Amino acid sequence: MAGQSIERREILRILAIAAGAASFPGFSRWSFACGHVGAAVNQIKPATYQPLFFSASEYATVEVLADLIIPADDTPGAREAGVSEFIDLMVSRDDALQPRFRNGLSWLDVHSKAATGDAFVKLSPSQRTSLLESLAYKKKFRPGEEHGREFFALIREYTVMGFYTSEVGLKELDYPGLKFYAESPACPHKEDPEHRSLTPPKD
Amino acid sequence: MPAKNYDVIVIGTGAGGGMAIKTLCDAGLKVCALNSGRRLDPEKDFRNHRATWEMKYRGFGDPKTRMKDTPGFLDSEYNPGAWEHDVGFTTAPGTKWMWPRCSAVGGKTNFWGRSSARFGDIDFKCATLDGYDSDWPMNYDEIAPYYTRVEKMIGVASTIQNRPSNPDGVYLPPFNFRCLDWILRKGCEKIAVPYLPDRLAQLTVAHEGHPACHYCGDCTFGCEVGAFFSSPWFLLPSAEASGNLELRTNAIAKNILVDESGHASGVAYIDRESRQEYEVQGRAVVVAASCIESARIMLNSKSRHWPTGIANSGGQLGRNLCDHLYADTASGYLPQLLGQPSFPDNVGANPIAWMPRWQNLKNPNEEKFVRGYSIYPDGGCSEFPSYHNRIQGFGSAYKQEIKRRYPTPITLTVQAPTLPSKTNFVDIDPESKDTFGIPMARIHFEWGENELKMFEHAKQVSAEVFHSAGAVLESSAEEPEMPGYSLHETGTCRMGNDQKKFVTNRFGQTHDVPNLYVCDASVFLNCTDKTTTLSILAFSLRTSEYLVEQFRIGKN
Repeated sequence: MAGQSIERREILRILAIAAGAASFPGFSRWSFACGHVGAAVNQIKPATYQPLFFSASEYATVEVLADLIIPADDTPGAREAGVSEFIDLMVSRDDALQPRFRNGLSWLDVHSKAATGDAFVKLSPSQRTSLLESLAYKKKFRPGEEHGREFFALIREYTVMGFYTSEVGLKELDYPGLKFYAESPACPHKEDPEHRSLTPPKD
Repeated sequence: MPAKNYDVIVIGTGAGGGMAIKTLCDAGLKVCALNSGRRLDPEKDFRNHRATWEMKYRGFGDPKTRMKDTPGFLDSEYNPGAWEHDVGFTTAPGTKWMWPRCSAVGGKTNFWGRSSARFGDIDFKCATLDGYDSDWPMNYDEIAPYYTRVEKMIGVASTIQNRPSNPDGVYLPPFNFRCLDWILRKGCEKIAVPYLPDRLAQLTVAHEGHPACHYCGDCTFGCEVGAFFSSPWFLLPSAEASGNLELRTNAIAKNILVDESGHASGVAYIDRESRQEYEVQGRAVVVAASCIESARIMLNSKSRHWPTGIANSGGQLGRNLCDHLYADTASGYLPQLLGQPSFPDNVGANPIAWMPRWQNLKNPNEEKFVRGYSIYPDGGCSEFPSYHNRIQGFGSAYKQEIKRRYPTPITLTVQAPTLPSKTNFVDIDPESKDTFGIPMARIHFEWGENELKMFEHAKQVSAEVFHSAGAVLESSAEEPEMPGYSLHETGTCRMGNDQKKFVTNRFGQTHDVPNLYVCDASVFLNCTDKTTTLSILAFSLRTSEYLVEQFRIGKN
């Protein structure tokens, strides 16, 4: 087992959470990669996507949330990566996950309406951000919002999964694998083994 | 039509079985090998550089089918059907056990972790050193030539290290250190913990007709070019070319058959597809089905001669199940590398470096535990930013922080051996049969005090390494991974000179049944702090040559 990278264990953890199966024990070889061959077969976006699981309004909320979590800025975001379609696909195939998403989305709208009178998707950008911040930052946590925080963590997890397994997501990271190297890659800073004075990153 | 009679029936085609098959076939013996699953096709069944987005479920697999309640599957969307789903097992009350079994031809060697350290006299003479349990029935000098031959056969990349717990071998050039290795090594130096190139059965140069690694990072989904050791790439081809091998796939071994004198005469197996039972006859039988599976087959081989299972006159069959305790003792990141460009840290999909046992070397009782453990470091740019949940927030700042931290994550994982224990064993569950009608193995296992002390010790040292290397420590496992997680189980058919205490003799031949041999990690006295595959290969080579010699002198 030595040689199984931590990321596989992380994926397992994600899946264990997703399945609500806390006892699911191990690791797997599910992996994530940026390939250098082949076509992107799963990123074809029809003009109007028909969700497999979510209702139209639920799906609209998922899209908004995914875009808030990983927005397009200097580089593409969740929408360009097809994250909401990915979430819909995964949830559609996972009975344990379905109520957690459905109840979570419902929680969000109930709270949004209680606070502002409107469903989440109808909020202004600053209202959306403010609501999510109370679920995302420990310093801003509010009592009684445990379910909301749990849902935010869940949808953030699935957004990250969808984004960083997409072509644009791996490009964002500049994933260096699935290529051919002539020799095992070596540290280029041998004059500074402690790496105390590396050139600072450019903006 | 009279049934064909083979010289040897070999159960299993992994490291132990594969080596036996190759050795016996090369020596001219007619071999029938039984493998419980199908053959894999590297073109189709390995990952072959497929990107996540080329997979319907992005490599996660279909949520509807990927998980079952029973632990022990390692399926991926890249290697569907390679892992056992149908042959069940049970656990005794209080036992948790995951038992991933690769039923494909070649077994776990298709996907293994490739770390390949020799055992040494510090392992073989363990009881003499610390008074616990038993010594192995041989010393290092006796097994060293087999290690050398195996290393030359499979190719192991490492360096000469002169470590007292780790005999050096014959090595290909090592993997280069990455940024994170130099930083961690500096940190380790300050607190006198070794940080060295691992021993990796992964070809840094072309070797014996096998191509050099191209460092794509796909290793644990199967190598489509055969640049690391696996039984189907390295052992089975010459056996098949010899014309002496008949390999039966989807053949689930049920029990070993015996003749009137109680000697092994063949194997009964179930065909996975038709669910029909078949028998195959041979002059000798090699069991190499992996530790627990081998015990199950032998315990299920009851007869007039062997009422509690074949070769079990001493009552030792299934006893002394050992495993490696695994846990992530420290996880966090290296702030020195924040924001640096992405670098191919993880393209060997392996740890590259290790921190080999440094405890209890001068004096076997200098620590609060006996024996010792090793640590594997891991980190850098990988396929997935698995640290994402350690960052708060959302939005552009979150996305940028994921990117900034991409080269920085590190984890230390402890590999600590369990001590053999009377309460850790395998028997047959009298109440349950699997879907093929075969009584199931029942596993009894709990961590013992010694390995839990190692776990605590490793956590402390790991935190010190982080501190010393200037790393930020973010988490440390509270509990070890579930037993079985390491895939390094040993014991159940242990070797030793005393027939009452051990199942096989020092050559892996069962004391009770001279034409029955065991060629997997079940003969090991314990699991040591090292991984098992290299030693399985070396011991299987030795046992198989001993078997050939028994044939030559007419004893089998």
